[in-house]
Amino acid sequence: MMDTDSFGSAIISGEIPTNTMIKGVGVSVGIGIGQVVLMERLVADTCPCRILSPEEIPDEVARFEAAVETAENRLRTIRSSIESGHPLDDHSYILDAHIMLLRDKMLYEGTRQSIEKGSQNAEWALSEIMAKITAAFDSIDDDYLKERARDVHFVGDRVLRILLGVSSEKKMHQLPPNSILVSHDLSPADTAQLKKESVLAIATDVGGKTSHSAIMSRSLKIPAVTGLEKVSRLVQTGDTIIVDGSTGLVIINPDAEMIFRYRQRQELLRNYHQSLLAYGRLPAVTRDGARTIRVLANIELVDEVDIAVAHGCEGIGLFRTEYLFIGRPDLPTEEEQFGAYKAVLSLNKPYPVTIRTLDIGGDKIASSLNLPRETNPAMGLRAIRLCLNIKDVFKTQLRAILRAACYGHCRLLIPMISCITEVHATKSILEEVKQELSNEGIPHGGDIDFGILVEVPSAVAIADLLAREVDFLSIGTNDLIQYSLAIDRMNEHVNYLYDTLHPAVLRLIRQVVNAGQAYGVNVGMCGEMAGDPINIPILVGLGIDELSMNALSIPIVKKLIRSISYEDCLELTHQAFQMQSAQGIHDFLEKWIFDRFPGDYFLSQQ
Amino acid sequence: MMTESEIIERAVVIGNEFGLHARVATALVQTMRRHSCHVTLRKESMEVDARSVLGLLLLAATNGTELVIRANGPGSEQAVREICELLQDDGSNHDGHR
Repeated sequence: MMDTDSFGSAIISGEIPTNTMIKGVGVSVGIGIGQVVLMERLVADTCPCRILSPEEIPDEVARFEAAVETAENRLRTIRSSIESGHPLDDHSYILDAHIMLLRDKMLYEGTRQSIEKGSQNAEWALSEIMAKITAAFDSIDDDYLKERARDVHFVGDRVLRILLGVSSEKKMHQLPPNSILVSHDLSPADTAQLKKESVLAIATDVGGKTSHSAIMSRSLKIPAVTGLEKVSRLVQTGDTIIVDGSTGLVIINPDAEMIFRYRQRQELLRNYHQSLLAYGRLPAVTRDGARTIRVLANIELVDEVDIAVAHGCEGIGLFRTEYLFIGRPDLPTEEEQFGAYKAVLSLNKPYPVTIRTLDIGGDKIASSLNLPRETNPAMGLRAIRLCLNIKDVFKTQLRAILRAACYGHCRLLIPMISCITEVHATKSILEEVKQELSNEGIPHGGDIDFGILVEVPSAVAIADLLAREVDFLSIGTNDLIQYSLAIDRMNEHVNYLYDTLHPAVLRLIRQVVNAGQAYGVNVGMCGEMAGDPINIPILVGLGIDELSMNALSIPIVKKLIRSISYEDCLELTHQAFQMQSAQGIHDFLEKWIFDRFPGDYFLSQQ
Repeated sequence: MMTESEIIERAVVIGNEFGLHARVATALVQTMRRHSCHVTLRKESMEVDARSVLGLLLLAATNGTELVIRANGPGSEQAVREICELLQDDGSNHDGHR
């Protein structure tokens, strides 16, 4: 949240003792060791104030207008540099919003008026208006609105810098190699311009795991720590610094020994990953041969198939189709979708490809659909609910999937099912589409597997009823945890309660697996939980059939499954179910793995 | 035809389930672009310009909040009517169908 005090003038930093450690929130994993490049803090509070003489006023207004125009052009350029397929493609809408804010009447006209009527110089006028708006947003008890205060600051700061002639952008482009970027805060526009080659890591005073910049740094795979509170006041450009995005630790002025230690750790991480790759090619059979788990990959783009195959995936457990729909003014055509699905299916043959139908809120896709904005989209009109509502769009997607099904082993995965009616409605549309394709004489795969994503607690409760209707069940843990624990992962005030190993979550998983077994239906899992080694023994013990994960996690998960016996996993699961707290279960699972394989499994990225 | 000096005031209750949120605010600012009159919205002691998304959001007007629309200038009557319609709308006309 906006902390107005923290925008105060910079503290003159004295000599910082060696190995000074500060702890923040690790938001993007990896280790960076390098030299600080300090981005200036927001300039709003250090603006010169001057009363203008009447004859100066017209020029000052013109100077302000020109600065806004420069800022707007600059944002447009940054916006257009994010091409389709760029890792930040999904986040570009935030830049559109900032472009609009620049001309907001309150900010723009408000500043003009302060110049004209209050005879204030532009910097003074603008920073005062910004402070007013920020304070007003901050006093509202609504997190969504509070966050808008940061937007106002990012946008206003850009104009102020232009007025003052201090550009922050030069640095973004001309960062020396091996830079560690340190800043009070990083705007989405700043992050969008980072060059991965020159930035080793990022450290900022404010921001949480789910801020736009954090999400963007993960997309760019740049290690990052946020929430360090005062790092930008402690360091100076040129200082040596270590940023550990896995632990959230930042070490200022590390001595040679500390650097050596972290270089080793870095190297270890790299080698470790290299040596693991071999395991990707082996099947995930437990040591006693009692269980074989199919390990698959989650992907979003056709381009990701190569890397997934290289890491040893046995098919795609989750092909998210949203990327085809977002960040564009129109909807993808049937041909376009068909091309993408066919490509993924062909590349994975003979392994299965699980295509999840559109899992998105109405606000994310084509504005032409004219869907209402929702304040609680997580529980609103999204995923299958939306698809059943915009039947034409859904049918086009199903047509494309059915046609592509001729080119491999295709599985259809329906997200956010909460009752049996939705299954029936979906199936009837599917039949309708098949019939239409047959009537038109268009070849299509008639017998594709039909499955649902179990991610709403009500679906778990009726897993036995659902299992009778489907070919497979896939547990989507990210949403299931969020819905069952009533925790918004994006809300920094409660996200500490988000516990993968909550006893309730484990019981929900058990219920789904049991239902699947009772009706002879495969049960898989495709949330983040499935790719984290600590969860693997208990998932094996629960009897899960398939695990689908980030491609990079596949080798380590296979290695672990091959090292443990099903019998031990059953025993471990039994014991874990006697425990009462998520923390207790976490510690127990961690110790269980550590006792058997010390140092082997907790170096990897989560 | 209204004279420019006439001021219109009208109370309106927010009908949208989610209040005066970003999408409604944007729509309102877009509506204002078609008019040249001056319009403000008031909630209790807070009054904001209807041409500013930021201002409208700052009202933090939830469903059921009463706002006072105040307009003067050419086309005020028409603008107020459109704004009332927009703010009272409970969204049921755009319930997700195309």
